[in-house]
Amino acid sequence: MNAFLAILRKDLILELRGGRSTTALVSLALLVLVVLTFALERTAGGGPATGAGALWIALVFAGMLGATRVMVAEQENGCLRALLLSPVDRAILYAAKLTASATFMIAAAVAATIMAMLFFNLEFSDSLATLGIALILGALGFSALATLLAAISIRARGGELLLPLLIVPIFVPALIAGVKVSAAALSGAPLAAAREWVGILVAFDVLFIAAGYLLFEHVVGEE
Amino acid sequence: MNRRLYGALGLSALTAMLVALYMVFVWVPTEADQGIVQRIFYFHVPCAWVAFASFGLVAIAGIFYLWMGTQIWDDLGYAAVEIGMLFCTLVLITGSLWAKPIWGTWWTWDSRLTTTFVLWLMYGGYLMLRTIADDTEQIARFAAVIGIVAALDVPVVIVSVRLWRTIHPAVLVTRQGGHGLEDPRMVVTLLVSLAAFTLLFAWLLLLRFSELRMRTRLATLARDIALARFRAGAA
Repeated sequence: MNAFLAILRKDLILELRGGRSTTALVSLALLVLVVLTFALERTAGGGPATGAGALWIALVFAGMLGATRVMVAEQENGCLRALLLSPVDRAILYAAKLTASATFMIAAAVAATIMAMLFFNLEFSDSLATLGIALILGALGFSALATLLAAISIRARGGELLLPLLIVPIFVPALIAGVKVSAAALSGAPLAAAREWVGILVAFDVLFIAAGYLLFEHVVGEE
Repeated sequence: MNRRLYGALGLSALTAMLVALYMVFVWVPTEADQGIVQRIFYFHVPCAWVAFASFGLVAIAGIFYLWMGTQIWDDLGYAAVEIGMLFCTLVLITGSLWAKPIWGTWWTWDSRLTTTFVLWLMYGGYLMLRTIADDTEQIARFAAVIGIVAALDVPVVIVSVRLWRTIHPAVLVTRQGGHGLEDPRMVVTLLVSLAAFTLLFAWLLLLRFSELRMRTRLATLARDIALARFRAGAA
């Protein structure tokens, strides 16, 4: 637990001082929303469905760029090797990296939500909590996947090219569920209306956090 | 022994395939509602079966590779993913050919279509990792992990996409309990076709697998020779 907190603390301090990941994530999410506003010509004046879709596109793009930063940053200057040499269980390392990456993604999701509300004329309804749940679960699932796969992509040749090709198809179920929950939330439906979809998001998260936890040691390997 | 085995396998696959073709085009009666197009079904379903069996094999090979670390499992996974991608592509194409006259569209985001397409994308990524990156022990480990992760995703994809939408005919098992194939000859044709494709699958797998095994052996030999030369030079 101490090791987990130490690595997480290191990543958060690094981020607070440099702020590269969050800035990049938020900027990219923002740009995607701007592009979508132009590309969709404000289809039917925005609306919950378009807004939810735009929000998740922004989240996925931001995630592909940023959720891997926590691993890429370690690779630079050989910090990953130092971490692997330290007497820390690889699974703990994975958990810490996952938490850091999810934190940055949630920060980007908050910024993107505010922007999407403005750009797509969405209502701040009572079920903002539902939207929050969807985004947090989505960010967590994406980070679980991205942290595991980023460990692969930073060391395979042509890896940065492959990463989106590997992440996005696997993320599809969470994406469908996330968009459904968000659309329900933005149209003011209660959480109970999207219960099944929240279930899928939770199942996705549990499955891939567990898979990452167990498989991470095989991808960082023995160097 | 290996050569005789895949000679026999290849021959029986060919025979079974010819019998299946005869049954599909001549023997089996034409389906009443859909007409002649329905006959593609006897190839469509076996292709899907081979694709799913291959992807299952990829995951199993991945687990064993991570567990035992022997090259043979990696070779098996590699051979299986290639065959899986081939047959998954065939499933999508034969499905499209059938859907155009029956549904009036080449493609629709129905649950099974979407699931198959998502699988195709996932294993396409896996195959790209293997082709772009060098063939090292590290890549073998990465591929095993991705093979396992992709297989874990399959049930979630199926559930979520089914909840999302479905119009695909449930041919084999419907909720009413019928299977939609009225004539017993249709069932027989499907079974023969399934057997033919399974033989073809086994033959292709064995062929590709032996080739990869040979490549591994060749690489080991080349390394040993280089090492021996180096030692001779040093002495």
